[in-house]
Amino acid sequence: MTENIRINNPNVKYTDTHIEAQYCYHTSAVRRDGDTLTVTPSVSELEFRTERRVPRLGVMLVGWGGNNGTTVTAAVLANRLGLTWRTKTGEQKANYYGSLFQSSTVCLGPGPDGKEVNIPFRDLLPMVHPNDIVFDGWDISSMDLGSAMERAEVLDWSLQEKLRPHMSCLRPRASIYIPEFIAANQVGRADNILKGTMAEQVEQIRADIQDFRHSSGVEKVIVLWTANTERFCDLTAGVNDTAKNLLAAIQSGGEVSPSTLFAVASILEGCAYINGSPQNTFVPGAIELAVERNVFIAGDDFKSGQTKIKSVLVDFLISAGIKPTSIVSYNHLGNNDGMNLSAPQQFRSKEISKSNVVDDMVNSNPILYRKGEKPDHCVVIKYVPYVGDSKRAMDEYTSEIMMGGTNTIAMHNTCEDSLLASPIILDLVLLTELCQRVCVRPQGSETFQSFHSVLAILSFMCKAPLVPPGAPLVNAYFRQRACIENIMRACLGLPPQNHMHLEHKLQRGFLPRHDNRIYDNVATKMVLSTGYHASQQNGVCAHVVKEATIG
Amino acid sequence: MTENIRINNPNVKYTDTHIEAQYCYHTTAVRRDGDTLTVTPSVSELEFRTERHVPRLGVMLVGWGGNNGTTVTAAVLANRLGLTWRTKTGEQKANYYGSLFQSSTVCLGEGPDGKEVNIPFRDLLPMMHPNDIVFDGWDISSMDLGSAMERAEVLDWSLQEKLRPHMSHLRPRASIYIPEFIAANQAGRADNVLKGTMAEQVEQIRADIQDFRHSSGVDKVIVLWTANTERFCDLTAGVNDTAKNLLAAIQSGGEVSPSTLFAVASILEGCAYINGSPQNTFVPGAIELAVERNVFIAGDDFKSGQTKIKSVLVDFLISAGIKPTSIVSYNHLGNNDGMNLSAPQQFRSKEISKSNVVDDMVNSNPILYHNGEKPDHCVVIKYVPYVGDSKRAMDEYTSEIMMGGTNTIAMHNTCEDSLLASPIILDLVLLTELCQRVCVRPQGSETFQSFHSVLAILSFMCKAPLVPPGAPLVNAYFRQRACIENIMRACLGLPPQNHMHLEHKLQRGFLPRHDNRIYDNVATKRFLSNGYHASQQNGVCAHVVKEATIG
Repeated sequence: MTENIRINNPNVKYTDTHIEAQYCYHTSAVRRDGDTLTVTPSVSELEFRTERRVPRLGVMLVGWGGNNGTTVTAAVLANRLGLTWRTKTGEQKANYYGSLFQSSTVCLGPGPDGKEVNIPFRDLLPMVHPNDIVFDGWDISSMDLGSAMERAEVLDWSLQEKLRPHMSCLRPRASIYIPEFIAANQVGRADNILKGTMAEQVEQIRADIQDFRHSSGVEKVIVLWTANTERFCDLTAGVNDTAKNLLAAIQSGGEVSPSTLFAVASILEGCAYINGSPQNTFVPGAIELAVERNVFIAGDDFKSGQTKIKSVLVDFLISAGIKPTSIVSYNHLGNNDGMNLSAPQQFRSKEISKSNVVDDMVNSNPILYRKGEKPDHCVVIKYVPYVGDSKRAMDEYTSEIMMGGTNTIAMHNTCEDSLLASPIILDLVLLTELCQRVCVRPQGSETFQSFHSVLAILSFMCKAPLVPPGAPLVNAYFRQRACIENIMRACLGLPPQNHMHLEHKLQRGFLPRHDNRIYDNVATKMVLSTGYHASQQNGVCAHVVKEATIG
Repeated sequence: MTENIRINNPNVKYTDTHIEAQYCYHTTAVRRDGDTLTVTPSVSELEFRTERHVPRLGVMLVGWGGNNGTTVTAAVLANRLGLTWRTKTGEQKANYYGSLFQSSTVCLGEGPDGKEVNIPFRDLLPMMHPNDIVFDGWDISSMDLGSAMERAEVLDWSLQEKLRPHMSHLRPRASIYIPEFIAANQAGRADNVLKGTMAEQVEQIRADIQDFRHSSGVDKVIVLWTANTERFCDLTAGVNDTAKNLLAAIQSGGEVSPSTLFAVASILEGCAYINGSPQNTFVPGAIELAVERNVFIAGDDFKSGQTKIKSVLVDFLISAGIKPTSIVSYNHLGNNDGMNLSAPQQFRSKEISKSNVVDDMVNSNPILYHNGEKPDHCVVIKYVPYVGDSKRAMDEYTSEIMMGGTNTIAMHNTCEDSLLASPIILDLVLLTELCQRVCVRPQGSETFQSFHSVLAILSFMCKAPLVPPGAPLVNAYFRQRACIENIMRACLGLPPQNHMHLEHKLQRGFLPRHDNRIYDNVATKRFLSNGYHASQQNGVCAHVVKEATIG
């Protein structure tokens, strides 16, 4: 645990064990009377308390031997060992590119030189480092992780050679296999499956979690589903509508999907459970069970590629007043995920997960869309073995611009599916672990409370975010990111990012201390001669002074 | 003037003439000692005062007869007249799609039903409606606007037929033409040019502004350059380094570009001046003159198409921890802008304006980029007459993802250049006009102050934003948009958008009044049965409940 941020403010207290921050949370309530909207702002005083000690974290993956499972395990090993390997273009170092916390930054404020100080996102609060995660997991295929990594065809061969000795000794535990939930074409891989009744299998999963916890010495276990997409589960009264009925259905062998069985086992073990696939693992009974037991659940479906960009581009277009009228997304991929999705019922799960991603943005703009109006939206996924893990996504966005004009964006996106998903798996477990150490006490309340069991702050990493009932559903990428950043800032008593830079926008400065220095000579010639246009060379000058800089 | 938002808060006062809001502005100062960063938050109390009376606005366009000039004038006429016209796919109505203020929305807060209330951006504060703008302008071509609209080949023919009677009697005033600043291929259009010395021409422009103001009866005039891209101007001590030297150079006929002459004339007339092209109109002397005279200037270069998307996509990638390593942008267009840019010196201006757009995002992430490292970035623009105003932008973004993986995005973007630029022209003048009615008084100060003469809040609409010296340069699209939104909210005493939805993320609610209602039965079965998964149908259920909705 290295905390290298210190908040210098009487509202923030560092105890031996906690960071305690007093925070003013602002909301507005809006009331409509005819054409007039009355906006009533209010402030809630909250105390955020964050445990400073970072525990030893164990992560158990369902589908450990799949492309995501092997890639994330290999990436963590390679980073932990500090591996480098040769490629035809030079030496490559292990890294965590694509991870929000490890590889992106947040701005803390200006330094004494007036330049913005940017720090790694992970440094905002004490967080587990991915290098320290201990992995374990289940798979319906018995293949060891060294061979599974080779089967995945994701990592460079020279890196695989270095990793094989470390990976080959890792073997997935036997998993739950109910053929009707996944595509028939998966049967060939299913050589490592649990026997017995449904209830016995759940007990075995619980025993596996206990075994892993004790044998590895980790203090906390998080379970994450990165296995096959299942078909959707029927929601049936008496079967999965309540926690009690769900547990009874498991005892009697009703319709319960493997992913829900894993979720139930995890919740009963007090382990947070994250669903990285699109199916409806979290039937109402599973959610109720998590709420009752005060265990975090989150999902659904990693937002890694096409949908992630869609949640950026559509937000951009609509927020610019441009009206997307047709969104057509073609995908092809050749990994096992693609093979499983080639079955209609599994594809249907994926299609649903991908289809609602623009709804929040469309609904937010009644100028462009009348009530109930939506852009045409079509998603196709095809299985093309040759391309392997190197997924192709082709999108066409057609939008209406001013006066009946048309804007057409065609996009072709190529990337290794598992190399995008792996850092997201890490972000999901690291943020979940952090949330387990944060609690909040509203002023006037005597007790601290935790986040809601449905951990909606993880929406950023999910295609079809699960949120508590009544909570707004946000898919827009930058809003989701701001949510994480501002909640983590709140844990430090820091107000939300406002992006206003007002101290630079008025005629005269108003800030105390070092910031003011910048302002003193706005109107002098000295500044004007070098202020706006940098290095001046014969008729051509770089047009701007770079101010935002490295922290 | 219709204000339909009312803030119900003792900190916000509505007088007959003003909205007066008390506002707490939060900043942080960061100091580095070794590995430790000390963050000191501070609060500045500010009073925002916004004039409620919206004046009659006149806008004078330099390059009125060009594609942008005719399109924006036609669009405003068509909207004002409520025109509709037939296209092969049906009836089309005049609209302002692509305008931030007219066609995008902002969220005010939650309504009594717990749903987000979204309102048109323009409704936040009393703003001019574009329908009420009176246009005038200059052009080196004498063609009337009806014929110029036909030459532009932008608007549907059936719309042109309806507009022609209203457009044909509009004739641009004679403009300043100095052949060496624009491409030689423009000579054929230059049949409407001022004669006389440079000083006499500036006097004529001033007389034109006065004439327009008096004859049209507008209260306020804003001048906007949407004419040809000029070559960059040499920055020379004694010529354009100070306001005094610049005015002297105009008297003696030194190297001063037409766009700078227009800027000087506008500033001397007290009219805000906006530069929609990439050249360095705002030489240090021009900026000093604006600061001395307390006149707003803003620029440079409309951010409408390729660069706008680039400022979204690169921000997205870097903010997701993905490392763009190569950005290659090809453009071809066939309008007069394309013809002018086919000359090397004019292209150079454009290339510079387009090249720095990713700098702030790259510099903000020292994890991905070491000091001084930048992605390869290449911009090509070709003149292809056939495509006319329907510009094509082809971009390839290559990024490094985890463990040496590669992500390649290829994008093909087709749209009418002028239909994207026209709403931006409107946004620029409307926001400038609003800023002229806002002033701020920091606590302890006796006087109100205006925004800085260099109106950086307009960065959102500019490819190469001009900012006051020492101010951070922000190109990132969503940060720029948040800046405008949060400053306008500040004028209403509303705190910045925080996107946190904390009231929906904890175990129990903490908000007073109507919001709380949502929470009361989180754990009841009734809610759980229809909370998360909407309409349940035989094995397939739409995955989410749409909560964010129409305001």
